[in-house]
Amino acid sequence: MRHLYIPITLFLLLVVEGVNGQLLASFLLDSDTQLVPHWLFIFLILIAIFYDRETTYFSVVYSVIFGLFIDIVYTDILGVYMFVYGIVTYIVHTLKKHFRENFTVTFLLGVIGIILVELAINTIYLFIGVAQFEWSHYFYFRLLPTVLANMIFLIICYPFFKNRLLSWKQGDLVDR
Amino acid sequence: MSFFRNKRLFIILIGIILLVALIGYSLSDQKRLTMPEQFIKDSVGWVQQAVYFPANYVKNVVNNLRDLKHTYEENQVLKEKLAEYKTLIYEVQQLKKDNEELREIIDKTHSIRDYRPIQATVISRSPERWLEQVTINKGEQDGVKKNMAVITPDGMLGKIQSVAQSSATVQLLSGFDQFNRISATIIREEGKDVFGLIEQFDHESQSLLFRIIEESEQEVEEGELVVSSGMGGLFPAGLPIGTVKEVVPDQYGLTSTALVEPAANIYDVHHVIVVDADLYDEEEQNESGDLE
Repeated sequence: MRHLYIPITLFLLLVVEGVNGQLLASFLLDSDTQLVPHWLFIFLILIAIFYDRETTYFSVVYSVIFGLFIDIVYTDILGVYMFVYGIVTYIVHTLKKHFRENFTVTFLLGVIGIILVELAINTIYLFIGVAQFEWSHYFYFRLLPTVLANMIFLIICYPFFKNRLLSWKQGDLVDR
Repeated sequence: MSFFRNKRLFIILIGIILLVALIGYSLSDQKRLTMPEQFIKDSVGWVQQAVYFPANYVKNVVNNLRDLKHTYEENQVLKEKLAEYKTLIYEVQQLKKDNEELREIIDKTHSIRDYRPIQATVISRSPERWLEQVTINKGEQDGVKKNMAVITPDGMLGKIQSVAQSSATVQLLSGFDQFNRISATIIREEGKDVFGLIEQFDHESQSLLFRIIEESEQEVEEGELVVSSGMGGLFPAGLPIGTVKEVVPDQYGLTSTALVEPAANIYDVHHVIVVDADLYDEEEQNESGDLE
């Protein structure tokens, strides 16, 4: 059962990302500012930092699978989120080896991760013609608000999930 | 170590190839949803409904409490309007009857105005804001098909982009590009209608671009209602699209473009109607099938 906690949480976040746009944040849609929830990705970062060991790559596998789910459910353009989430989670996984696992490091890796994800996704969308924008406009009206909003989510999530993920990791050890 | 490096590079390269292939596959025009895609969409859709309906209930209760304050004033206004509508209803009935009789005379029993409505609820909105998509809780099993128009009581909202078994994705008007044209018209008296095409959504002015194709002397005025003309074949005629906000000449001065403000609120949609326009085609096919 313990092995299912992470996929279930990820699935719920996938669902909530969409319902949130329809229900809670509908007042934000009218404005020029784009707040894009990358909550799933924030949780993937937490998994990479607290759940994965140096030799295991659960976070990367999950990010590929759930990235593909996001593509299927919300964008109809397959591969973009899958590829970007996968690569960036892998980068975060590599970077975390050089640091201690504390809040500052998690926050910084979160910021770096979200910026990389946003830039990569929007570069791809710009290339294939899904989005048209000026980079300067993009930085102020999408990148900045998106990073801020997702960091707030990370700050809320961190105390809730940190110890849980660590204990799930320990639990896995006992299972073996 | 160098072996692992190579392996890593190898995986990334395969990833990029896969990415390009998948994007190419999903951008092709004739694409229909495959079985796994439909399955994932539907299962996410079910959970979304389970989350959406209770959450929406709470939200509604809060909103209702707020609305209670204004109820009395609204009631007065509505009563006045109701009296106006009563005479209108009588007129409409008369016209309908006339219309039916006239149609019978010329032996034409259905028009491009007819459609079968499919009621649906919006359960989620794509977090990726470039795409302007929402998901509704009706799908192929309820008769929803690709490219059907989607309307709200106020006016046109968008069209169906992809269909799964019990959910469907709607492309909103604000996500329309030059590949999603709607033939539209401004209806006037005595055959002076203005025809044109809704070409795409302009994000700067938050309005649809209505290119007037007829070289018409008739000046388009602000506030005029643009409705679908049914000439494109996809959408039935007479669905309100929006009101003219401003008229600008194009860069060569030959045609003019009207900026049209969508009648439906694209940003706050909950209940929508999917317009099934080829209802009669199917019936005809069935009838001819029976004859054989």
